[in-house]
Order: sequence, then C-alpha cells, then structure tokens
Amino acid sequence: MESFIEKKLNTSESAFPESSSIAGQLYDNALKHKPFPIEPYDREWGIGVSGAVDEPSPFPRINKILKWMKERDTSADHQRAVIYTEGYFNKYASYPQILKTALCFRDLLQNVTINIWPDELIAGELAAPAKSAPVYPEFAIDWLCEEMINEPLDQRRNDRYVISEETKKELLKIQPCWKGNTLEEHILSTLTEEERKGSHLEKGVNFFGLFASAGIGHVCADYETLFAIGYGGIRKQIEEKLAALDTSNPEDIIKKEFYDASLIAIEGASSYIKRYANLAAEMAEEETDEQRKAELLRISSNCSQVAEGPARDFWEAIQLWHIATNMIIIESNGHSVTYGRFDQLFYPYYKNDIEKGTLTREFMQELIEMGFLKMHQLCKIRDKTAIVFSSGTIMGGTALDVGGVDKDGNDATNDLSYMVLDAHAHTRIPNPWMGVRLHANSPREFKIKTFNVIRIGTGEPKIFNDSEMIKSLLNYDKPVEDARNYVGIGCVEPCVPGKTYGWHDSSSFNIAKVMQLAINGGRCIDCGPHCMRYEKCAGAGGRLGIDTGSLETFKSFEDVKESFDKQMKYWCDIMISQVNKVDFAHQRLKPLPYLSLLIQGCIDKGKDVSVGGAIYNHSGPQGVGIGTTADSLTAIRQLVFDEKKTDGATFLKALKANWEGYEPLYAIVNSDRMHCYGNDDDYADDVAKFVTATYCKHVEHRPTPHGGEYMPGVFSVSQNVMAGFYTAATPDGRKSYEPLSDCIGPVHTEMSSHDRRGPTAIAKSVAKLDHSRIGNGIILNWKFSPGAVSGETGRDNLISLMDTYFENKGMQSQFNIIGKEVLSDAQKKPEQYKDLLVRIAGYSAYFVELSEELQSDLISRTELSFD
Amino acid sequence: MKHTKEGEPYGLVTNIQKYTIHDGPGIRTEIFFKGCPLRCLWCSNPEGLSHSRQLGVYPSKCIGFSKCSFCINVCPEGKDTPIIYRNDILVNINENLACDDCFKCADECPSRAIMIWGDKMTVPDLMKIILEDRNFYLKTGGGVTLSGGEVMLQWDFVLLLLKACKDAAIHTCIESSLYCPPDHLEKVYEFTDLVITDIKHMDSGKHKEYTGVGNELILSNIKKTVELNKPLVIRIPVVPEHNNNEENIRATAKFIIDELGNNIVRLQLLPFRKMGTEKYATLCLPYPMEEFNAPEREVWEKDLLHLTDILKEYGIPAVAGSSGKML
Ligand code: SF4
Ligand code: SF4
Repeated sequence: MESFIEKKLNTSESAFPESSSIAGQLYDNALKHKPFPIEPYDREWGIGVSGAVDEPSPFPRINKILKWMKERDTSADHQRAVIYTEGYFNKYASYPQILKTALCFRDLLQNVTINIWPDELIAGELAAPAKSAPVYPEFAIDWLCEEMINEPLDQRRNDRYVISEETKKELLKIQPCWKGNTLEEHILSTLTEEERKGSHLEKGVNFFGLFASAGIGHVCADYETLFAIGYGGIRKQIEEKLAALDTSNPEDIIKKEFYDASLIAIEGASSYIKRYANLAAEMAEEETDEQRKAELLRISSNCSQVAEGPARDFWEAIQLWHIATNMIIIESNGHSVTYGRFDQLFYPYYKNDIEKGTLTREFMQELIEMGFLKMHQLCKIRDKTAIVFSSGTIMGGTALDVGGVDKDGNDATNDLSYMVLDAHAHTRIPNPWMGVRLHANSPREFKIKTFNVIRIGTGEPKIFNDSEMIKSLLNYDKPVEDARNYVGIGCVEPCVPGKTYGWHDSSSFNIAKVMQLAINGGRCIDCGPHCMRYEKCAGAGGRLGIDTGSLETFKSFEDVKESFDKQMKYWCDIMISQVNKVDFAHQRLKPLPYLSLLIQGCIDKGKDVSVGGAIYNHSGPQGVGIGTTADSLTAIRQLVFDEKKTDGATFLKALKANWEGYEPLYAIVNSDRMHCYGNDDDYADDVAKFVTATYCKHVEHRPTPHGGEYMPGVFSVSQNVMAGFYTAATPDGRKSYEPLSDCIGPVHTEMSSHDRRGPTAIAKSVAKLDHSRIGNGIILNWKFSPGAVSGETGRDNLISLMDTYFENKGMQSQFNIIGKEVLSDAQKKPEQYKDLLVRIAGYSAYFVELSEELQSDLISRTELSFD
Repeated sequence: MKHTKEGEPYGLVTNIQKYTIHDGPGIRTEIFFKGCPLRCLWCSNPEGLSHSRQLGVYPSKCIGFSKCSFCINVCPEGKDTPIIYRNDILVNINENLACDDCFKCADECPSRAIMIWGDKMTVPDLMKIILEDRNFYLKTGGGVTLSGGEVMLQWDFVLLLLKACKDAAIHTCIESSLYCPPDHLEKVYEFTDLVITDIKHMDSGKHKEYTGVGNELILSNIKKTVELNKPLVIRIPVVPEHNNNEENIRATAKFIIDELGNNIVRLQLLPFRKMGTEKYATLCLPYPMEEFNAPEREVWEKDLLHLTDILKEYGIPAVAGSSGKML
C-alpha cells in the first residue's frame, strides 16, 4: 500500500515549482544529484545499534557539525553572572524586582558576546558559547564556587565541565555579593523544622530541591502567536494595555510595573536577534565561499525579520522558534522548556514553502536536523550530587512531540511527523526528547516509522496514548480543544501548550519511605544513634513521622492500609506546604517578564507568569516507588496475614537487620511464590491501585500559591536511585539503599526481577492503575533484547502489544532495545561505546556519561527476551 | 490420562511462556509439556525429556545450610537424605540414595535452589492463564501453541485442552516431532489450526543416530498432515557437521516437492546454538554436545542463507530464522 507520504512525494515531485530564493536555488542545485533524503516509511536502521554509527545523516553538513560538537568540551561562562550581579547590586538595586530582572535580562542580551558557528543555518546561543552553560547566581552560586576550588568540575567522572581561568576569577569575584541574597538561601530560611526533617536535606521523604535552587522551566511557549505576530505584535498588545491603565487604581500600579518590564524584555529580545542579523551580515562580507555567503545573508535576513516581525517561511520560523526558546532558558534557569508540537506548528510554513517553491523539502529536512543540533548545544551546569542521579542530560527536557489528533479529534499526522522521526535517525543525539502521540486512527505507516526509530535502540521516541493524556487534562477541567492540543512537557507531563504554567516537577515524593514509617510507628527502619537527627528525634522519644501503628501490632491487612493512609496524609500535607513556600519564593524573587510574553493570559491579566498570569496553573509533584510500596504491602498481606508464614514482629526485625540472619525470608520475598505487581495478578495489582489512589487522593486538586490545582504524577526519572539512598530495607525484598522501583514499573531488586510473566502481564497490570487520574503523567520503561523485536514479527507484535496496552488505558511507554551484555560491556569499556544512547526515564542519554549508580540501575531493569 | 485427587484430568507442564512470537502467528502463549520419546543430541530443553516430575538443582541459589537447611529438615529420609551439601552449600541430590519423590524439599526451599520440573495442571488451570492474554491474541491473530518435550505424549489431555481453546475461539497450534501414532494425530487435528514440526534428517540411519529414533513414522505423519489439509510449518534445525550438508538439504527439498506437493506454509531453517547446558547440570545430566565447538556467527549465518537459497531453487517457501512473518 502506498503511504500518504509516498503519495505526496509522487505527486509533488513533478509539480515542484522552481525555488525562488537565493539559498533555495543554491540548495536545488546542490541536491539535484542526491538520492531523495526523505526516507520510506518502513525504512529500517537496524535493531539495537543505537548511536554507534559514524555518519548517520544523508546531509554532510549535519555529520560535520555532529563531529565538531562531539569534540568540543562542555564548559561554563561567566558573562550572564557578571551582568546580572552588576544589575542587581549596582545599576538597578533600588528597582522593583520585576523591573530589576527585566533590565538585567535586556542588558545581558545587548552586551553578551555572540557567535555564529561554522556551517550553522540557525543562529542563537544561551548567552554563552555553544556547549557552554550560563551561570545563574540569583538562584545559588556557592556550590559552584566551592566545587571549582575543591573538586574541579573537569575531574568529574561524568558531566565534566572545563572552566576557564577567567570564568573562575570572575565568578569568585561576584560570589560575595550574593551571600544571603539567593533564592535558595531565602527558601531555606522559610522552612520550619517540620518541613526540613523529611526533605532531601535530612531524611529524604520529599525532594523539592530542583525548584529550590534553580528555575521552574517545564513550560511550552505560545509559538503560534509569536510566529504570527512577532515580538512587534506583542509589543503593540502591551502598549494598548498600558494606555488603558489608571494608576490611581492600586492594582494598576502593579500592572504597570509588569507591562513596563514586559516592554523591556521585548527590547532585549529584539536587540539580541538583531545583533545576530548584523553579525551574519558582517560574516557574509568576509566570506569567500559563495554558498556559505548566501547562507549567511539568509541567516541575516531571517534574523532581521523575526527580531520584530512575524515568521514568513519555514526557515524564519525555525530561527525564531530556536532563539525565542533559548531566551526562556537564559531568563529562567529552568529546564524542560518544551518545543511544542513541531509538526502542527510548522506545517503551514512547510506547505506554503513547498507550494510556492520557497524551500525544498530536502532542505527543510536539513533544517529540522540543524534545529536538533542547536538544542544539543545547550548546556546546564549541575552540582555534584545532582549529576549522580540525573547525569548526562546536558540541558534536559528539550521535549518535542509529533502526531496525535487535531482540535476536532481527527488524525493530525503530516509529512513533518515523519520527517522529525527521520531527523532523529539521522542525528542519534539525545535531543530533542521526542514524543510520538498515538491514537486509534494513527496511520499504520506512522506507527511503523515510529517503531523502526524506536528499534534503533537510542531510547527515542517515547509514545503517548492520546486518549488517556487528553482524559487526564479533562479531569482538570480543560476544554476539549485545549486538551486535544496537549504536549508532553519535559519527560511526559501533559500540558496545554502556550497557556499553562504547570510547575510540572515541583517535587519527588518518596512513597516507599512513607510506607516504612507506616509500619514502624513513624520511625525509620534504620533508626539509631548514627542518624543525624537522633538526639532530637528517637533519642528523645520522638519519631520522624507520626505513630500510625507498627507491624508488631497490626491485626489485619486493613490496619496496615489505614496506617499507610494516615501516614501519607501527614507527609503529603508537609510536602505541599514545602512546595508552596518554594512557590512564594519564586513569586517574590524571580518574576519572569520575558516568559510572560509567551504564555497566554499574562498580558491580558497584567500579571507575571510566576504569580498566576497564565490561563492554566498547576503544581505537579511526582510519586516515587509505587512498585516498591505495592510489593512491600503485598508481601505483608500474603506472608503475615493470609499465609501466616511469618509474623509482623519477625518481619520488622528482618528489615531492621537489613535481612541479615533472615536469609530464608529474604529469599522467599524475592521468589516466584510471591504475588507481585506486574504479573497481571489482582492480589498484588489491587494493592498497587490502592497505593496510587492514596497518593493521588492526598495531592490532587489542592490549591497552589500561583493559582490552579495540584496534579499528582507517577514517575521517578532517576530519583528512584536517589530516594533509594534514603530508604532502608523494604518488605519486597529490597536491601537498604538499593534503588526504588523505577517510575510506574515493577520491582527489580538485587536478587530478582519481580515481573515474571512477560510484557503482556506488565501491560495489563500497569493499565489497571487509573492513569487518567495521574494528571502530571506516568512513565513506563520497557527493555527488550534486540532479538525480541527484530524482523517483521518482532516489529508488528511490539506495535500490537502497545496498541492493546493503550486500548486498556495505558498512558505512555518508552523503550530500551539493547542487550544486557552490551551495557555491561560498555560499563567496562566506555571508550568503545561513546555513542551508545540509552533511555533513562524521561529522556535518553549517552550511557558512558552516566554515573555508575544509574548505569547499574539500567542494567538491572528487566530485559524481556524471547530469543 | 492422569487425574488429580479430585478426579480432574491433568497434564504435566514444564513451563508456560507468554508473549511468544516465533512459534505461530501473532502474540501467543506457549505451553511446554513434559516427556519426549526422542533424544536429540542438540536438545536445549532437557527438562522436557522425562515424563515424570523431577527435581532440579541450582546450587548457586542455595543460601547455605547453616542459615537455612529447610530441605533436610523436611526430608522424610531423615539421616539418609539424598540431599548432598558441601561447604555449607547444596551440591546435588544423590540419585543412588532413596528418595521418596515427595518433593517436600523443593516445596520448602525458599530460594528455589531445589525446584520441581513439571507442574500438574488441569484444563481450567491452563485456560485461566491462556485467557488472560485473549485481547493480545485477537489483536495479532495469535493464540496458543502447545509444545514440549513432545506434546503428543500427553495427547489425550492435550485433546481436552485444545477443545477448550476452540470453544473459546482461540487459535491453536501444536509444535510436535510427529513421532506418534497417526490415529492420535487425527483426533488432535480436529482442534488444531496449525502444525509446526521438524525434519531433522532425511537419512533414517542418521536420524536414529542423532535422535534415537528412525524417521519413517515422522515422515509418514508429515505426509498425513498435508493430506488432511492442515497448515504445516516445517523447520530444519541446522546443526553443523550433523545435517547441514547439501545432500541432506536437497533430499529434504525433494521430499517436500514429491511427497507433499510443496503444500506447506513455510520452511524455516533455524540456527543451532549451544544452549541449555545449565539446565542439563540442574538435572544432573550430561550435555551430549558438550565437546562440540559451535562455529562463529558469520560462518553459520552464511551457511544458513546458502542452504535456504538451495531450497528456494525448488520453489519451496524457505526462510532463514523465525523472525519473518509466519503466515
Ligand atoms: S532518629 Fe530515628 S526516626 Fe528519627 S529521623 Fe533518625 S532514624 Fe528516623
Ligand atoms: S532449602 Fe534450599 S536454600 Fe535452604 S539449604 Fe536447602 S537447598 Fe539451600
């Protein structure tokens, strides 16, 4: 059967009008004798080969830049930090916070050094050179200075940064100014003992560190409006609003500050882009190569156009898209700044350019790949603890989706959906974090394309089930057209693009630790004098949580459930008050006038996005350790209450002893005698449902400080490894400090994988949980050996497996398709596996750049093999 | 046919594997029955050979007698227990000493260092598991594959199970050596949608040398299968130095053309892999091909493709490997 993309190819090839622009013509000539680079829908790139190929792209330029980027060190750059310090403490010290931040943003964009790198077709950086991270002192700076001195960042095992002497000198110079003035210090000063004790700083129930020392990010801009009216159009809207204000109204004074700040932010944005236009023109003048000269001239004209005006063709749109997003990151220090539904956003330009002959399809394919490489240049610098648990992410969260339904619920797949997937096969880099939206009427060809890319084994893309993602948004009262237009933010979080400030990763909540407190009278399982809190806690007759009962005294499984429920309520309340304090701190200290230009609602309301300007507002904390908790409670139910193989007191002793002296019990809980989550066994799956529902119940729909409601999520990214460090032995047969179960998946302990009945059973078990209630999203990681998915048989059955999982109301899936042996070998011989991309949780990363802990966690995930 | 205490007929099953995708179309649940009349040198499922329940021993899983010793404590043979341990760790079950076959040690062993090969399962037991994946079968044209050991050894129980599957509208496939009385086959075929079998060698003498039985009954049952119009997939397990010579392959081709009229769905050539050694050890059995040095991947791959090409010359629907579409 001829696919619709082939059909289009066949018809439009002949009807292809001559290109009109200079660069377009150049490209027509250059490409005349090349094989057509749009790939057939069923092209295979191999199974489990990952990124281990030299020149993946049919475009020499792309391969060349890939190579250039690999050789370039990651580093950090001081310019942003210096300009902000000058603004905060000298030039604008007395200004209202929102104007202060806007002015610093403008000054930075008007003064920072800029570059256009060799062979690039799209200009733009992060206010720092390619692969160099800007520094954000207003959040926290001490850690960086301390690490620079005591633990040089170029000596790290992974996430290495080569920092120049000049940058070091400049950063150390400004460090003292920030003492007591950073967001992090402010937040710490507001925490009560109650909130502190369970945090990542102490006992690890709740990890809210991400937004306490960096920006929020996790947002998708309103690109549609920006493309259509440009910064100039937005300025006009603001000017109209300003003119209508009456500052004798108290609130209009605040609005005026906001609008003034917005105009300053636009001024900064426009001048930044104009500077690239000028630079490109200057470089063109010097350029001797005719083709490159033409390219530079086009870059220059693109930038001049979009500095103020709307995007008129695909190239201008992709230029604006890239640089506008960069500025969100430059301003906010957030990651998971999401690039939207690429195929929907760009299709009008694509279509128009093909029809008018402005650009060829081949060239637009090259531009997409170029866009991916530009994302890959973005860098973020993280501290030494963060990189153990979320290493290898470079910027992180460069999410982009294709496929899915349109506003009316019809299939919206188009040529670009396919081209984006090809672009990943052609670049094999961990950017963007791609999501494919699937639904009942997704074309078969599109699924085949998707799974052929998945089977390469880089971990990209993940797949979303439209019906459940949409339902989860409808549960939060979104109009159906908005819900249908969702994007997955960062890892997976369902979000209405351009209208939402979702705080999608506001905390990671260690459910397994709460379960431990619930079976041990509110004390940690490993309680003892070695604990940093002992003196003021158990040593003084106290406890970390509240006493809701103990395994020694529970009379029935109902008692256990009740205790868990109460303990969860206690800790969810604490978590929410912590997150709310972080929320208020951002409102006070870190207004975001530039981002506010690009999120609908802010200009209308005259309100910054941080204080609730957006149309939709949320906060999404993630539950971690669903599987661990489910199997633990199930083990108690089975062995203590149903089979009476052991009593509660003995079970508790075994945990406290980290199973030492209780080896038979340890073997039993890890054996196939046990009911476990992930085996299509209601006995255990019902407990998993209970655990998930309890978490959702205590979190969902509660109010957030910036407006809107809390939305629970269930995924760990790699926080399951971190949370495991804080969690002693659990009844599911996990030893102290092993990772918790990953995301929404089944348990695998050091001794055994608890999913014993293959992928169909996993799919059914997981789908029993009510996904649509989990408004902040779920992740399900699959790991297949290449043999299990090779050939048409492997491909088609994998597709059907996922179709059925989605019909059963599963929400999301992502895949690793690489043999265990390969991973173990790569751990031993990293130099031979530099390009081996793997899936972590919400994202893919280079395996050899991961911390050892993450590598081992990945190797131990169940591999489903049918060789 | 054997019955449980409650009078339910049961079969002896060594393993149930869900999401099997290479033994029949679509996503399938494969059930391995215990007991086999053949003794192929290259067998990689030795737990399927004997038709009675057996103890399997995994010393590496034993957590140590000083910490556990559940097994000897429950062994009714007391001091004369056949359970041998050395350096605190289980070594073996001594076949020469009396064993009650009560399997209590395996029931108690917490770590499954001693386990049982062969579960007694009734039709309702199996149907419950089979039906769990019904939606996956429907989506993919999949169903159930009954395999072994030799599935036809328990033909009367298998008949009941197949009937139950057909009552539930589930596609059925048997994977059998076809070394069985033809009238059993006729009965079983009534409820079978697809048959998968092997031709291991065309020379009956060689066949006997490698598998313990001649090939006459098998070949005549293959013919019968085709005569009865059963969709048939034939496999050749290509074992280097045993049956991978051109002469044998051409003889196979001739048989398929002349005797079967090329009326087969597929002919799959499967590579030999040295597998199952660990399982032989757990059963205290020697691995017959221990000494055999399997060739490098490139060598056997080339060989397999070459032999496939020869078969294709005859117009036979031959493929290398099992990951291509079956139907
Ligand atoms: S003293 Fe005991 S209960 Fe309190 S925090 Fe420390 S380990 Fe936990
Ligand atoms: S019961 Fe199992 S684990 Fe325990 S001593 Fe015997 S063989 Fe070892």
